[in-house]
Parts: sequence; C-alpha cells; structure tokens
Amino acid sequence: MKIAVVDEDVIVRDFIVSTLMYSVNREILTFDNGFDTWVYCTESGFPDIIVADVNLQGIDGFSLVSKVKETSPGTVVVLFSDSPRNETKASEQGADAFLAKPFGVNEIFSLVQTYVVEPDPARDTSTPV
Amino acid sequence: MLRLGPKPERMREMELDDIFISRLQLLIIMAKSYLSKNPLGDYRERSILENAEFVKVDAVGLAEDIAFFGFNESDFKGLDFEPVFYQRVKLLAVMAEAFAKGHSLEEHKQEALEKNLNTICEAITFSKTISDMQFLKVA
Repeated sequence: MKIAVVDEDVIVRDFIVSTLMYSVNREILTFDNGFDTWVYCTESGFPDIIVADVNLQGIDGFSLVSKVKETSPGTVVVLFSDSPRNETKASEQGADAFLAKPFGVNEIFSLVQTYVVEPDPARDTSTPV
Repeated sequence: MLRLGPKPERMREMELDDIFISRLQLLIIMAKSYLSKNPLGDYRERSILENAEFVKVDAVGLAEDIAFFGFNESDFKGLDFEPVFYQRVKLLAVMAEAFAKGHSLEEHKQEALEKNLNTICEAITFSKTISDMQFLKVA
C-alpha cells in the first residue's frame, strides 16, 4: 500500500503524514507540488491513495485528479481545500473524497477506515504504468 | 464523493493553533493506544517521536508566551487552557518519546501517564474513542 501526500504547506503536510504514518505503520510519500507527483506516478507507479491540496504549483489538484483517474482509475484521490467553491469541482473532476479545512485527526482516521481498512472490493486497484 | 470536515460555512484555512490541537489529539491517541497494549512498529515509533517533538516545542513556546506577557494562573480561571496545561502537555510528550524509544514504562509510570492523559482530556474533547480505531490493533 503506497500513500502520497501533496501540499505546499509543510506544516499541514507534516501533520497529515504523521497521522497517516501512525495509522498504517508505513512510509508515506510526500510532494510539495503537482508536477513532481505526476512525474513520480508515471515513472515509479501510481500510489494506492493520493491526498492532495487543491492549490498546487505546476499541476493543480483538479488537474492531478483528472490525469490520475484517466491513467489509473483505481487510485483513490482525496482533495482538500479551505474553500467551499472547490467541492463541486473536485467531484466533477472525479475525486473520491473531499476534505474540508480545518480538519483534524478524526477526518484522517475516517479516510484510513474507508480506504485502507474497508476498501471497496469492486474498486480497480491495477496500475497500468 | 465522500465528504469530511466542517460544513461549508465553517471552512477556513488551517492555523497553527489548529495544527497544535490536532497534533495534541494525535499524541493522546498514541499514548492511549500504548496503554491499551496495541503494537508499535518502526513507522509508528517514528511518527510518535516526530509528533511528540512538535507538540513539546509548541507547548514550551506557548507557555513562555504566557509567562512573557505577565499572566498568572488567576488570569486563566474559567478558560480551557491554563499555564499548567502546557506543562502537562510537555510531560505527555516526554513520556511518549520514552515509550517510542522502547523504554517500557513501569506500572507507576503508566498510572502517571494515564492520570496526565485524563487531566489533559478534560480540556479537549474527542468524538472517537480508542476502541473505534480497530486499525491500531495491527502493525
């Protein structure tokens, strides 16, 4: 199980990483922009779960969702934002979940429960790259 | 699409206080999980150490801010966080570092940890209990 967290804000990103790392007892991949995330995906394979901010340099969160879902539909993509306006667009782009800020440990635990502990068996987890 | 977090009208950017409280909640969960004999693991230990360090540094900073501005305990009566709260948080962080480094806590230290946790928990609330987090039972 590979999980990536993408956010320019190192304080928020490190908090998410600490919570996820503790929850799943695995290394968590980290990126501070969408472009590096996409390069990693195409060169090293898609993570099972990507948790990304909407506002990213290079490739923003919406574009990242579209590109990931087009190539690896089984990858779970969670977008987070502090703006309600971004929720509808996240859904339209194919995000699996929307995390509204400010969030805490309970919300991240809910993600773990939903996508790690009780993943949808019908979900295609194959990664073509 | 799954939606988590506050309602749209309550959405806003995350501030340092949000991160501190969230990391403190995480540290409490880590300590309660330890007391519940849930297994650790390399990455969990690393996560505990990183989280404890963050909380410890931030708690010391907040306590120093309170001292610097000349407040005393009576100024905080009726508020959630009194100056001693940050000392308790710092103690919790030190204890968490100890068990994450593999130092087993003797029974009286575990009791002290539990007492400290209970006191801190009186100031903050959770919507989940340790038994809700089944994934902590495997490493």
